[in-house]
Amino acid sequence: MSASEGFRTDLLGAIPSLRAFAVSLTQNADRADDLVQETLVKAWDKQESFQLGTNLKAWLFTILRNEFYSQMRKRGREVQDSDGIMTARLAIHPSQHGQLDLKDFRAALEQLPEDQREAIILIGASGFSYEEAAEICGCAVGTIKSRVSRARTRLQEILQISGDDDFGPDAISSQVTGSSAL
Amino acid sequence: MKDTTKTGAGARQAGSADLLGTNSEIGRKLKQYYDELVSDDVPDRFAQLLAQLEQVEPGRKKD
Repeated sequence: MSASEGFRTDLLGAIPSLRAFAVSLTQNADRADDLVQETLVKAWDKQESFQLGTNLKAWLFTILRNEFYSQMRKRGREVQDSDGIMTARLAIHPSQHGQLDLKDFRAALEQLPEDQREAIILIGASGFSYEEAAEICGCAVGTIKSRVSRARTRLQEILQISGDDDFGPDAISSQVTGSSAL
Repeated sequence: MKDTTKTGAGARQAGSADLLGTNSEIGRKLKQYYDELVSDDVPDRFAQLLAQLEQVEPGRKKD
């Protein structure tokens, strides 16, 4: 098996993860696939710079992420900075019987600033360590930790779930119980 | 079946366990959301693209 054939097989194997990450970033299936395509071309061109024995998936995620942000800049869109932004607080109520379905979750995830969303995805879903995620995002480990923590808090707020509690306060019952006081 | 590229991070997941572990509703939903994306069928265009890239002389830039 030639080196390029081996590299091609490895890239092929990474595509499902790359697509999942791309959808998480773009929140759009078509844009995500364009991003994956661009990533594969870039990775192919730079394959000599990939160090054998190092983490191919992390290397590819880094390329994809850089491509995503450079496309956003080209589109003239401000990259969201969660530190300085007030995101609209839009609560999502569980659709029925307190069941938090995937649709609700997706909508909540969409409301997160990009930096928080990517951090919580890399750590909570893609299986990267904090160190790897920091490498991919080009920031400090502590920054990733705080983004993940803020993302989690924010998702809980949006979805109205608290740590171990079940789903959100029932507005009517809390009004009723609150009204008797004073 | 899903994520074929091992990151080697599996053993070091403990770091996120406190925040996003299986006891956390958010952690569970996150994995469910992502696993669904990962298990999505990959369009043929990607395999075709890689086959095309391999045909191009190594070191020779396209375009």
